[in-house]
Amino acid sequence: MNTATYKQRILVANIIKFVVLLLFGILMIAPFIWMVSVSFDRMANVQMPFPPKLIPENVSLFNYHIVFENGQILRAYLNSTIVTVSSVVISVSAALMGGYAFSKGTFAGKKILFVAVLATMMIPMEARLIPMYQMFNKVGLLNSFWPLILPSLLYAFGVFLSKQFFDQLPDSLREAAQIDGAGEFKIFFQIFFFLAGPITATLIILSFMSHWNELIWPLVVLTRDTLQTIPLFLASFSLENGTRLAGMTMALAAMSVLPIIIAFLFLQRYIIQSIALSGLKGE
Amino acid sequence: MAISEKVLKKRGRKRESQAIWYLFLLPTLLGVVCFMLYPIIESLRLSFFQSNGTIENWVGLRNYERVLSSATFWNAVYNTFYIGFFQILIAIPLGFVVASLINTLKWGQNLFKVLYFLPNVTSIVAAAMIFSFVLHPEMGLLNYLLSSLGLPTTAWLTDPATAKWGVILLAVWHWLGFVIIIFLANLQAISPDQYEAAEIDGASGFQKWLYITIPNMTGTFAFLFITGWIGALQRFSDVFVIGGAGGSPARSLQTMVAFIYERGFGGFEFGIASAATYVLFVIILAFTFLNLKATKLKI
Repeated sequence: MNTATYKQRILVANIIKFVVLLLFGILMIAPFIWMVSVSFDRMANVQMPFPPKLIPENVSLFNYHIVFENGQILRAYLNSTIVTVSSVVISVSAALMGGYAFSKGTFAGKKILFVAVLATMMIPMEARLIPMYQMFNKVGLLNSFWPLILPSLLYAFGVFLSKQFFDQLPDSLREAAQIDGAGEFKIFFQIFFFLAGPITATLIILSFMSHWNELIWPLVVLTRDTLQTIPLFLASFSLENGTRLAGMTMALAAMSVLPIIIAFLFLQRYIIQSIALSGLKGE
Repeated sequence: MAISEKVLKKRGRKRESQAIWYLFLLPTLLGVVCFMLYPIIESLRLSFFQSNGTIENWVGLRNYERVLSSATFWNAVYNTFYIGFFQILIAIPLGFVVASLINTLKWGQNLFKVLYFLPNVTSIVAAAMIFSFVLHPEMGLLNYLLSSLGLPTTAWLTDPATAKWGVILLAVWHWLGFVIIIFLANLQAISPDQYEAAEIDGASGFQKWLYITIPNMTGTFAFLFITGWIGALQRFSDVFVIGGAGGSPARSLQTMVAFIYERGFGGFEFGIASAATYVLFVIILAFTFLNLKATKLKI
């Protein structure tokens, strides 16, 4: 076979694949492009622009103006940030400590406890909704952020991932420190915690994404408007207005989506690696 | 395993140092007891009572009888499985084909990873909001695209007969990026030796895909199938944003979780909702167990 034509064939195949993927990819992000376009359309609340245009006829910041006017979205951002950051700190710390104990520790019931922690992954939030609601109701913590933050103590998948990570680190590290007379907490915080950077980043990303997007549990425990998180705020706006106020809805959606997309573009390598790690077969 | 046993023996001498490990585990175990063990036991107890949160009356199995004989509940079960089935049926093969294409690309792999993953980083709530307009029967983007290609259009979310397909489209769009990333990671983990050996034997690109790539991917298919079903059986956010707790139009979008939410927090029928929760719970466990058996995935 002539090598030049072989190379040409590869090139042509690549171009075809590239074009197909690009067209389908544009179709995938078309809803976002349309969202941005409608959000800048001055008249979209009255009459949705049809046929769809890339650049609206009356470009204006009107919709963003209204969305920002009462400050609700900023407060929702603040609420979401408080809840998510606290939850991430708690869940990732607990998972690293737990994973470390299951990896390097020796204690009675290690295996059965590990299986018990893993088994909790099978039990969805939805199955615990009512008793959890009643529990926080009894102690008077409804309409506060505690019901959203405290349950992050248990991050079973994080425990699992960090155990696997610590399993790969040699025990000789511990033994050397033990000879120097270091206690277990000192060994963990001064040696292993610093080596756990990659897994910590993954856990932060995975935990952040799940807490930031949570809807049903905040919906149940937060009834006060001032406490709404972003998903809650969006859902209540959407349920109230349906498909009436296209411009405002799209501005609101854009305000919630774009910061996340920008963060994703900056961190995409780490995020994609983290997602991939969660679905790679173990050895 | 061998390593941890060796460690175990060595450690055996220092029994007194065991207690410290429970301190490491304290946060996790506290979480298990307070937010897992207690709620599932309490939920079981509640399912035998008629309760509005303050007054409780023992009713035995009556809540279960009412749930299992409720047409609304079975409708919710049907909706949940219908949407999940088609979401998985479409997204996994489609994601596999796209991931295979991206994987063999000489340039632009990263560009497409990012492009296809964008919908997945968007919260499902925002995505559902956007899609309620994309799927608008008269002014929506999708019907415009379909009609300009000369294809038939439908009413999507406004008609009970087609509403589920609107949600399926949204679900596939949102989940596809995840499927692609998982496939890509596992595709890149296939040893290149296998492909080289096949090339020496004169295998074509398509033959390599069929005889090397696909057999190597069975574990990944199983993983996506199972995680897909676990997620699908818990479907709530997207249908709630589009159709509320009742899953309008005409309950065509009400899922099992939405049924529980509606009974529990719309009607404050905690007993009924708890019984429904346990039924859901059993369905999830049984179905996941069957899936694990069927796909022979080892956890």
